[in-house]
This record gives sequence, C-alpha cells and structure tokens, in this order.
Amino acid sequence: MSVIEPDTSAEPGDAGIQWQRPSPLLLRARRIQAGLVTLPVALAGGLIAGTAGSPALGLGVGLGLVLAGLLGERFLARRVAAWGYAERRDDLMVRRGVLIRRQSVIPYGRMQFIDVTAGPVERSLGLATLRMHTAAAASDARIPGLDRAQAAKLRDQLAALGEAQAAGL
Amino acid sequence: MRPPGPPARTDDIASWHRLHPLSPLVRAGRHLVGIGIVVILLLFANQQGSQAGSDLIVDLIVIALVLGAGVISWLVTRWQVADGVLRIETGLVRRQSRRFPLSQVQAIDVVQTGLARVLGLAELRLRMAGADSSGGRLACLPLADAERLRQRLLSMAHASAGADAPTAPDGTAGQPAPSAGGPERPLFRVRSGRLAGAIALSRTGAFAGVVIAVLVVIIVLTGRPGVTAALLPVVIGVVLAVWRQFNGEFGTAVSAAPEGLRLRSGLVQTTAETIRPGRVQAVRLVEPLVWRLFGWCRLEVDVAGPRQRRENRSEAQRLRALVPVGSREDAEQMLGELLTAAPRPVRRVPANARWKAPLEYHFLGWDGDDRYVVASRGRVCRKTTWVPLEKVQSIRWVQGPVQRRLGLASVRLDVAGRRVTASIAERDAAEAQQILARLPDLARAARAGRAARDTGAGGGSSMAARGVVNRA
Repeated sequence: MSVIEPDTSAEPGDAGIQWQRPSPLLLRARRIQAGLVTLPVALAGGLIAGTAGSPALGLGVGLGLVLAGLLGERFLARRVAAWGYAERRDDLMVRRGVLIRRQSVIPYGRMQFIDVTAGPVERSLGLATLRMHTAAAASDARIPGLDRAQAAKLRDQLAALGEAQAAGL
Repeated sequence: MRPPGPPARTDDIASWHRLHPLSPLVRAGRHLVGIGIVVILLLFANQQGSQAGSDLIVDLIVIALVLGAGVISWLVTRWQVADGVLRIETGLVRRQSRRFPLSQVQAIDVVQTGLARVLGLAELRLRMAGADSSGGRLACLPLADAERLRQRLLSMAHASAGADAPTAPDGTAGQPAPSAGGPERPLFRVRSGRLAGAIALSRTGAFAGVVIAVLVVIIVLTGRPGVTAALLPVVIGVVLAVWRQFNGEFGTAVSAAPEGLRLRSGLVQTTAETIRPGRVQAVRLVEPLVWRLFGWCRLEVDVAGPRQRRENRSEAQRLRALVPVGSREDAEQMLGELLTAAPRPVRRVPANARWKAPLEYHFLGWDGDDRYVVASRGRVCRKTTWVPLEKVQSIRWVQGPVQRRLGLASVRLDVAGRRVTASIAERDAAEAQQILARLPDLARAARAGRAARDTGAGGGSSMAARGVVNRA
C-alpha cells in the first residue's frame, strides 16, 4: 500500500509531530464501501436508462457510473492517506482531509467519552473507528481504520489519561 | 397518610409543604391560553349551525380535564428542605420522590409567567450540577416566599458546598462564602424605547416588516383581505418571534452581587438569574449594520451547565443577552465585569485574505493573551467573540483549497455546547500553524491556573477534578 506512506510535507510546521496512521486495511474497507455504493447505483442507473432509452444507453450510463466510481477511488486513496493521529503529552492531535485539511487538538482532560464503533465492512476486516467527544458539539474528532485491538487499547489509554487530567468545564 | 402542610409558609422549611393552591391554574395557563384561542377561532369559523355549541362543550371538557389534572398533581405534590436536601414528592399513580442536594445547586432562578405575575406567584427553578434537563421546579409559590426561599436555599447551598469545596467566585476567593443576596451594585438597565427600536431594526424586525409589507401589498392589490388567510401562520410566527424577544429582554437589568452577576429581565414573564463569573464560556459582542449607525451593540454571554450531555443541551446551553442593546460604553463596562483586561481583535488578517473573504475582510481580526482569545468576524454584522482559554474544549485548524492557494488557514476554538465557536479566520498559514502549536499549551496553563486557584481557595479540588462542580 504505497499510498499510505507518510508524506511529512503535507502541512508546514508539523515536522516535530510523530503522526500515526490508520491500518492499511482502511483503504480496502473504503474501497469496499465505495464499491457497495457504486455498483447498485450503476446497476440501477443502467437499468433505468436501459428501459427508458435503448439498451446501449443503459450500458453507457452503467459503465459511466462505474467509471466515476473508479475515478473516485483515486481520491479515496488520498483521503485515506491523509488520516493521521498523534498522541502528545497532554492532548491528542488528529488530522484528516485532502481538499479541506483539518487538524484537531483535543486535550485529554476534555474528553467526555470515547466510542469505538465498527460498521459491517470495518468489522469484517477487523477494524474499528474511535470517536472522541468533548463537551463542545463542534469538536468532532475520530480516527477510522484502527485495528480492533489497537482501538480498544487506545480507548482505554485515552480514558485513563482523560481521567487523570479531567478538568471542569 | 400525609400531613396537610400548613398554608405555604416557608419559615419552617423542614416540614412538608404544599405549593400554592392556585398553582394548577398557573401551570395550566399556557395550555388554557392556547385552547382559548382555538375556541375563539372555532367560534368564528363555525358561526353558522349548531356545531359551534358542541365544539364549545368539547373544549370546556378539555379545559376541565387539564385543570383537574393540575389540581390532582397539586394535591399529591409536596416539598421539604431537610439536611441540606430539597425533596419534592409528586405523582398520583407513579409516586416520584426527587432529591436535590443543595451543595450541587448551580443557580436558583425565580421565574414569573404572565398569569403567575397577575396572581402574585412565582416559580422556583433549581439548576443542578449534573442533573437532567428538568432540574428542580417548585411551581408555584407566593412571590415573597419564593424570593425568601431562594435566599435561604442559596445560603444553605453555599454553606454545605463550602464544607467540601468553597465556591467563592473569583474576586472573593479565599474569603468566607458570600451570603446570597448581599448588596448589589447596579451595572446596566436596558432602555425600553431603545430596545423596541433595536428589535425593529434587527433581523427579526426586518423580517416582520417585510411580512407586513407583503400583506399590505396583497390586500391593496386584490382588495380582499381574505386572501391573506393563508399567510396567517407566518404572521403569527413573526409576531410571536418579535414578542418573545421583546418580552424576554424587556427591562433587562444587570447588577453585580457577591455571588456573580444578577440578571433580571422580562415584561410578562420575568426571570431572575445569577451568572457566576467562572461559568462564562464565551462572551460575544454583536454589532449589526444598522445598529452601528446608532452606536448600538449587544453583549451576550454563553453560560453552560456544568455537564453538557446530548439530552440537555438546549436547556443548559443558552446565550443570554446581558446587554440586549446598549451603547459601546455599556458593553465595554459589562465586558470589564466579565473578563479582566480583555484583549481586542487588533491583529488584522494579511492582505491575501481579501480574495478569500472580500466582504468579511474588514472585520477579521484576533488577539490573545494567556487568559483569553478574542476573534472578530462577520460580513455585515460584526461579531466579536471572547473565549477564556480555560474553557476551550478543542482546537481545530482548517485549510480549504482556496485558503491553501492564498497561503491562509483558520483556527477554531470550541467551547462547551454548540452555540459558540471562536474562529480565528483567514490567518497567514504560518501564523495559523503557530497558533495551533501554542494555544493548547496556553489553554492547559490556564486550566492549571484555575485548578490551582481552586485548590488554593480551600484545598477542595476534588469536586472540580471530578468535573462535577465547576466553580459552582
């Protein structure tokens, strides 16, 4: 999975941060998810166009949609590669996004609760998503594509750190 | 089985009391008004035929049921204060006994709805640390009793809270817990005429004006007022919105009391509440375009309940207008009461930002010291937001594609709840990165400073550490 190589030049000034990456399986999970959306859509689009217009049109529409899905796959790889998190001394840093890049800093003491979720695709690959909640509704930090055991470990670790550093509102 | 409490006297609060006998009427009041409106509308609608009569009977039955339920609820409700705990027992079929430990009380509000005001009654609302949205309600008591009970409960709350975690506000840390209802220093009182003008010139008012204009045009063009009936819901909504704002902010008076800022407001429904300095999550100064011509502005504070969970966000999370409309001096003075030496958004954005945010450019700015961050933005309406660093929940750095091309980035500071985010927008990318690198440490230092002050005030940091009592 060459796309998941760290590219430290992504953002200026973060040289000192040791970014950790989600599991390489995340890309596969995302591909499966995209495929699960693209194929039915292409099939339905093709069928509708095929019955309404000519079979050739239906085939064209269907193939076009599949092609669009394949094009989207390229962005998928970059988006997956953009995910990263860093456990720092007092806070967790999460970064994501290709077009709109985001970095969130969440102090351990501010975490109110932490979810580990896994959808069917993620579960089949043994992955899980970690979601951190603070009292602020806007701070939405999550780390997808963690190995399930790693996710549970990270969750307990963050919860312990949160307990130790908990601060009132 | 239950000793009938003596008529609602609150001198001996340790025994069981009933609420005021007129409470059912007041509590049902809102429903009754609604039903009354429907009845009148129906009467008008079905003027022909005998249908109106039967509708009226149905409505009367509904009213009787509502009142009857209220009376039963009153009969089975009683309250008591003993051992620093307020107990409220209620429920006919499903008995419910709720305990409100006074040491956990965040604030006690006295609320008077319109009908309650006519009858000289008031409702006591307890806001609890970590309680669910409903909190404690005593509806209704005679106004004088409610005020007296509020004072007593507050002083009991201070006394019991002082035992394990002193709750003196910032300025008086280290001194004995102040008795509630001490001398008050008036700070601000809104002028009614100005409030009316300000609402008329606000977005709500402008919308109301547009609606009225549309109505007039339609009536003039068609010559038949009846066509506008379809617009009735819109009109009612607009009128209600204007009314709600005017009613809520009428006569807003703020005074400084030992336990915090006392805020009273309301025309028909009056509320009184105390905003403790340590509970302010954010302060926002709003200057709409038209108001600026008159030199008016509005100062709001974001006060969060101590625990923000999903279910009670709307209840605990409110933006209260300390200065619904006032001059810059009023706002500055109030700001000085809330924050010490608040910074100004003096650091302008780089010229590049003009391309990203041409309309917003002239208002963008930020500044920060080791206690507060201030950021201003807004296209037409200038909004300046101050956030105490110790309240920052998370920090986000965002860079969109246009920003990347221009070498810009934004940093957002989130505080508890979902209303306020201080946005340090369109900064130079290097500066934004630097802000992102430095702010977490500053915020942590601010939190640590707060914790140290808590501990210094009496060694009772356990509550604060648990996050249960936040500068109660």
